[in-house]
Amino acid sequence: MDFVSHDNDTIAEMLKVIGVNNIEELFKDIPKNLILNGLNLPEGLSEPDVLKNLKELGVKNKIFANSFLGAGCYFHYIPTLVDFVISRSEFYTSYTPYQAEASQGYLQAIFEYQSVISRLTQMDVANASMYDGSTALAEAAIMASIITRKNQVIILEGVHPEYIEVVKTYCWGQNISFKNVSIEKVDDELNEEIAAVLFQSPNFFGDIEDVSILAKKVKEKSPNCLLIQCMTDPTCLGILKPPGKTEIDIFVAEGQSFGITPSFGGPGLGIFTARNKFLRKIPGRLVGKTKEINGDREGFLLTLQAREQHIRREKASSNICTNQALCSLSALVYLISLGKTGLREIATQNFQKAHYVKNKIKLIPGYKILNKKPTYNEFIVKCPNVDSLIQECSKLNLLPPLPLSKYYPEMKDVVLVCVTELNSKESIEMFIKALKLVNKNEEEKV
Amino acid sequence: MEFKFPDELKYLQTHEWVRIEDNIATVGITDYAQHQLGDIVYIELPEIGTIVEKGSNVAEIESVKAVGELVMPLSGKIIEINTDLSDKPESVNSSPYGTGWMIRIEFNNVSEIDDLLTVEAYKEVVEAEKK
Repeated sequence: MDFVSHDNDTIAEMLKVIGVNNIEELFKDIPKNLILNGLNLPEGLSEPDVLKNLKELGVKNKIFANSFLGAGCYFHYIPTLVDFVISRSEFYTSYTPYQAEASQGYLQAIFEYQSVISRLTQMDVANASMYDGSTALAEAAIMASIITRKNQVIILEGVHPEYIEVVKTYCWGQNISFKNVSIEKVDDELNEEIAAVLFQSPNFFGDIEDVSILAKKVKEKSPNCLLIQCMTDPTCLGILKPPGKTEIDIFVAEGQSFGITPSFGGPGLGIFTARNKFLRKIPGRLVGKTKEINGDREGFLLTLQAREQHIRREKASSNICTNQALCSLSALVYLISLGKTGLREIATQNFQKAHYVKNKIKLIPGYKILNKKPTYNEFIVKCPNVDSLIQECSKLNLLPPLPLSKYYPEMKDVVLVCVTELNSKESIEMFIKALKLVNKNEEEKV
Repeated sequence: MEFKFPDELKYLQTHEWVRIEDNIATVGITDYAQHQLGDIVYIELPEIGTIVEKGSNVAEIESVKAVGELVMPLSGKIIEINTDLSDKPESVNSSPYGTGWMIRIEFNNVSEIDDLLTVEAYKEVVEAEKK
């Protein structure tokens, strides 16, 4: 249905019914100093003028030819099919598509998304999605605390530093205490009082963790504690062991890599999956498939809402009563356009190209790869001069890698490099050239 | 609507019933409580062996429209749970005092029994709530 604003007659009629003469009188209880007295806005513009204005603003954007930046937000190829499907107005403009009697199409799409994610991760249950990877991780921490009735959570080093901030902010008021520990020292911190251990793999520095070794340590000293893995670029699931085949209890990921543009850092897509035994504690919406009472037709509807606040009130285990529908649809279309072999191909290309760059960098004097563990499409490099590296990349129209000093002041000359299937051979050669130049300039300074 | 409240049972303000035999108490929710909750679809029961204080929530009862809790009437140890309820949670609706029982407790403080309500006192609670 289209939105029709009220005309003056309708407004007058409504005011009459409630016994008020005009709009000003309706708002008379609001103190005068709080009422906005006209907005300081320019005069309206004609359509050609608006477009001209926007174009002028648009050219201020710097569009890079290629990117070596990842760190939680990734450039991957998005098949044309994704935009084609999500741009359909049935999907694009619908709001809260949860009414079974009105939204069978969208509910089916969400159901298919859940099924695809569940198959990809090999986890038993996937919810209808959440806002992004970081809030999905926070919800996982709260869920673990509710299940175990404990309130201490360990966050392993290597979880995205911004995720850690979000988790702490999100859990504020939940009476959960957090401790950051390195994976090597996790042994000393484990005990019966721990609700969950959160870790990321591949982690923020690119390291792929050995989940079985970690799980063994954790379950030995904290048998009831939940092991929660997060991931920022799940394209790696094309070649890495799926979390469902490991000892993980809850697996969450940022789904932006699945057909969603990096934009200005958002919107994202929170992938949330868990084992069947936690079905009733999973936050967010869940779409189920059912059959008509009188007939064989299948239909889709929200299910297991008893976790939510409109039923559980103050005892709700989560206050998320929505999902990220359009972005989950992007992920669904992305994954089914690629299929099993396509995703494997993407993952293989990411892995191979990143390792090609990694091996090239190893040969350049002045640089050192710092990762000791296997990596996927990101790795960390110690370089001679970060500032001049960023400058040289920008000159060549390359979006430079992330300087880690932003989050870790002690990692002064370290950058996080990301290489995806979109990095052409040409851009890689340019990047290597920039790295060499930076080192040469540094050597000449000395 | 008439509800059944057996005379031989003890009750809680929070709508649990308690059947006491020696030092064992069987607990469930009353006819009035099951009616208020509506169709019950899932019950999460505690683990056998857990020791629970009187007054704490010991189980969760989920219906199509609400979630209720089972309050521990007496301090003690959970010695048995009604595992049939995982397949047939609707027993609580059809037979709240029979096959719909939820937990058995071995209680350790006999004097706590005095705090439980008699059937007359409980009927008053229900009447007051209905108003």
